[in-house]
Amino acid sequence: MKFLAVLFLSLFTEAHVVAQQTAVYAAVLSTKSFVVGGKNPMTGLFFQRPSDDTLWQHSGAPNVRVSGVAVKVEHPLGGKLLYLAAGNGVHRSTDGGATWKIVTDWRVTEVQWVTIDPRNSSVVYIATPYGVFKSSDGGNAWKEMSRGLEASHFISSIIVDVVNSNIVYCSTEDGAYISRDAAATWQRMGLSVGGVRVIAQDPDNPKTLAVGTEDNGIYISHDGGEVWMKKESGVDHSTFYTVVFDPHDSRILYAGGYVTGVYKSTDSGESWRRTNDGLTCLNVHSIAVDPANSNRIYAASMGDGVFRSDDGGAHWKFAGLRNAEVWRLAIQ
Amino acid sequence: MFNFQFSIMKHYAGVFPLLLIASFCSLYSEHQSRDEYLKAYEQRARYETILYDTMQNPGIYGATVRYAENRDLAVADSLLLNCSQIKHPQGDMFWMYPVIGTYLHGKGKMSAAAAAAVRNAWKTYAPYRGDTENHWAMYYASLYLAAEQWRNLPGSEWFNGKSSEENLNDAKEYLIHWIHITTTIGQGEFDSPDYLPEYMNAMTLLAEFAKDPAMKQRGKMMLDYLLADFAVDELGGEYIGGFSRIYQPAVYKPWLSGASAFAYLYFGTGGPVQSGWTLLSALSDYRLPQIIYDIATDRSHPFVNKERKRIRNILRYRKEMNPPVYKYSYITKDYGIGSLQGGILQPIQQHTWGVRYLYGKPTSTIFGLHPYWSGYELAMFFPEERKTMIADVVSSKGTYNKDDKWTSSSPYERTFQHKNTVIVLYDISPGTTSEHIDGFFPKNLQRRIVDPSGWIMCKAGDTYIGWYPLQEYRWMQLKDDEDNFRLRSYKLQNGYVVEVRSKDEVGSFEKFGMMLRKHLPTAVLKPGAVSVKYTTLRGDRMFFAFPRTRMLNGKEVNLGSYKLFDSPFAHADVGSEKLTLTYKNRKMVLDFKKLSITK
Repeated sequence: MKFLAVLFLSLFTEAHVVAQQTAVYAAVLSTKSFVVGGKNPMTGLFFQRPSDDTLWQHSGAPNVRVSGVAVKVEHPLGGKLLYLAAGNGVHRSTDGGATWKIVTDWRVTEVQWVTIDPRNSSVVYIATPYGVFKSSDGGNAWKEMSRGLEASHFISSIIVDVVNSNIVYCSTEDGAYISRDAAATWQRMGLSVGGVRVIAQDPDNPKTLAVGTEDNGIYISHDGGEVWMKKESGVDHSTFYTVVFDPHDSRILYAGGYVTGVYKSTDSGESWRRTNDGLTCLNVHSIAVDPANSNRIYAASMGDGVFRSDDGGAHWKFAGLRNAEVWRLAIQ
Repeated sequence: MFNFQFSIMKHYAGVFPLLLIASFCSLYSEHQSRDEYLKAYEQRARYETILYDTMQNPGIYGATVRYAENRDLAVADSLLLNCSQIKHPQGDMFWMYPVIGTYLHGKGKMSAAAAAAVRNAWKTYAPYRGDTENHWAMYYASLYLAAEQWRNLPGSEWFNGKSSEENLNDAKEYLIHWIHITTTIGQGEFDSPDYLPEYMNAMTLLAEFAKDPAMKQRGKMMLDYLLADFAVDELGGEYIGGFSRIYQPAVYKPWLSGASAFAYLYFGTGGPVQSGWTLLSALSDYRLPQIIYDIATDRSHPFVNKERKRIRNILRYRKEMNPPVYKYSYITKDYGIGSLQGGILQPIQQHTWGVRYLYGKPTSTIFGLHPYWSGYELAMFFPEERKTMIADVVSSKGTYNKDDKWTSSSPYERTFQHKNTVIVLYDISPGTTSEHIDGFFPKNLQRRIVDPSGWIMCKAGDTYIGWYPLQEYRWMQLKDDEDNFRLRSYKLQNGYVVEVRSKDEVGSFEKFGMMLRKHLPTAVLKPGAVSVKYTTLRGDRMFFAFPRTRMLNGKEVNLGSYKLFDSPFAHADVGSEKLTLTYKNRKMVLDFKKLSITK
């Protein structure tokens, strides 16, 4: 509860100002005692400066189950654009978190992931258990875009290609999918396994994709999703909820999942080693590499908040949000 | 994922004298004329509201009653302004409906300060929508009414940033959608003794306060629909199972469920119950149609009621998002026995089959189950991670992963019911959670005899229950079972036959026993090949092979032919949006396409 007491002091006072600066965002899905309708500790969106140690501030609704966050520093409306993927829809702020609006209706629920097209911030995609939805007008109107995803509507992540906005990838219970027409239609990629929990793309080599799966480990493709190879060297676990590339050196990858702690690869995913010194919760749902400092890594745990490493994952220390089930991290 | 309810017993403290007084008014309803019914109803409604005159800290409902009755308005203002819902809002949809209900009862009577406090709360407190059908019913009904009240406000005046019109349209669309699917393919959170109250409150407020005549009519018609659904499965103030959701211990103490409070209020059945759940109903102008009251209370002839409902949205591992649920029940004046077809139809709180009877409250039931749990089951229905979800669920529903729990769905359980005979079969995979089945037998049974024939013969007042285990078993009395008896069998290929009769039907208990001894099931119990043949006390030949072959007198039983309602009292075809209620020479039709009620 310590972090809550601290954040209450600063809530709504500095939030807007701080949100205009570089920040780490944590989407808190739940806490250990969360009950809909009950008296719950705060959930939703938290953020901090890298120098804030274990101090976090909160923005938006305090009792919402948030699974994802997307941030765009510059957009046509001026201020920082934020989207939350939440149980009760998509929340949008166009002023850096000072005010929020739920921009979806009753049809959109249990949103798992939100992604802004990096080249057109009016285009937003969300992954839900009911399919992919897309907005082309900055979140005001949403349309289901699940043609080709009939084998499983449960979409857990969705990303836009780093080069071509017409190419979109998503992970589903059935497998990994690609769209070459901005989500109008989807095709299953060559991955043979299902239960894909997350998909990531190498920022330097767009043909390189990585997925984390439920029970089937980590797979990597170097040809845009045609051929996939399971990466087992050094991997003792099978369920991975997050795989990320270091934005400075994409030969470095991090992965985490069910009781995995953090895995790190320095050879483009060919081999992995666990690097958990200081991690007290080994269920890791999201990892983020600070784009300003490759050695600063954040790991989101499912039940004990956020951990931070300042030495490329060699050592970890608690970074706040005690007891929180942190579903996603983002750094801007 | 989880839910919060306040207990039906919450307001019991200090009201025992009132309870005694009310018990003279209406312990068990006799069949009544309309005038008699309405007079008795008013007494029961008053019994629900008077509680808030005597409670020391009546909270927001103390204000609601005073506003509704247009008295003590200064007191009502004070209660409202100082209640936790205004001073420290929390509770999401459980906050929304009492707050808007109180506001609407007090509108034009409350002080400007009180009205402003309520309005401000809808701006500054952000209730979560939740993830269950009852959550959404409460959320959207409340939001609809609030948006109707405060029109033309910009998003900055609402907790969710949407304008009044956006909120109104969103809520309206969802409510119409929910009513549509309920009246075409069935309710998802169906026949729930513990969640009926949530729907009743949401629809009561719509029926009472919606400005839009069409929405007001929808609210009224859904009240009729929900109460008719209850009426055809009700006995002595209790719902007859199976159920989509029920809590423990209400599953073996049926009177604890919130539905019993509504049975008392509207049907006059069961014992007097004062409950916060029924307050908004007791204050409303809605009156139960006489035909529904007659259906609920006339148990002069045994009847079969068949219903089709739907499974709640399946998110993973699905071929179909809302497969059908088939419910069968048989109800007499003494007992009711009902069943769902079995399998995973609802996560966590399913009650697949059970016998309930008038004798021996509070533990007036016998039932069985396979206490199953798994991340797979939870992942079917919830979006969180399969491997960590069990721990999440257990944090609020602590019995979920317990071998001894009394509510459960199981993929290894199926039922076959014909009138007052139920066959339950299990083909449990080795290594699954709980490699055993359990049966609940209350301690207050007058007789519980293990007969050399293999039948367990039980007497509960004028109700007789025979239970024939197909495998060896043992009796247990676990600490948490409150001295009731637990039949446990560790055989994975398993099952039992249950016969229920009353004194009226077969005469003495001894005669019932003699009949049972002449009717012994024959079973095949091998992995992948579990079946039973049985000829009922009526002489009907039942053959049941796990999981889905059900033969009655040589003909296959087609569950797929089930209608939404099919009984002497209620009829509704799948997709029809129309419920026809029949009682003697009277008929009432709820036509949701036309939004009409025809009598």
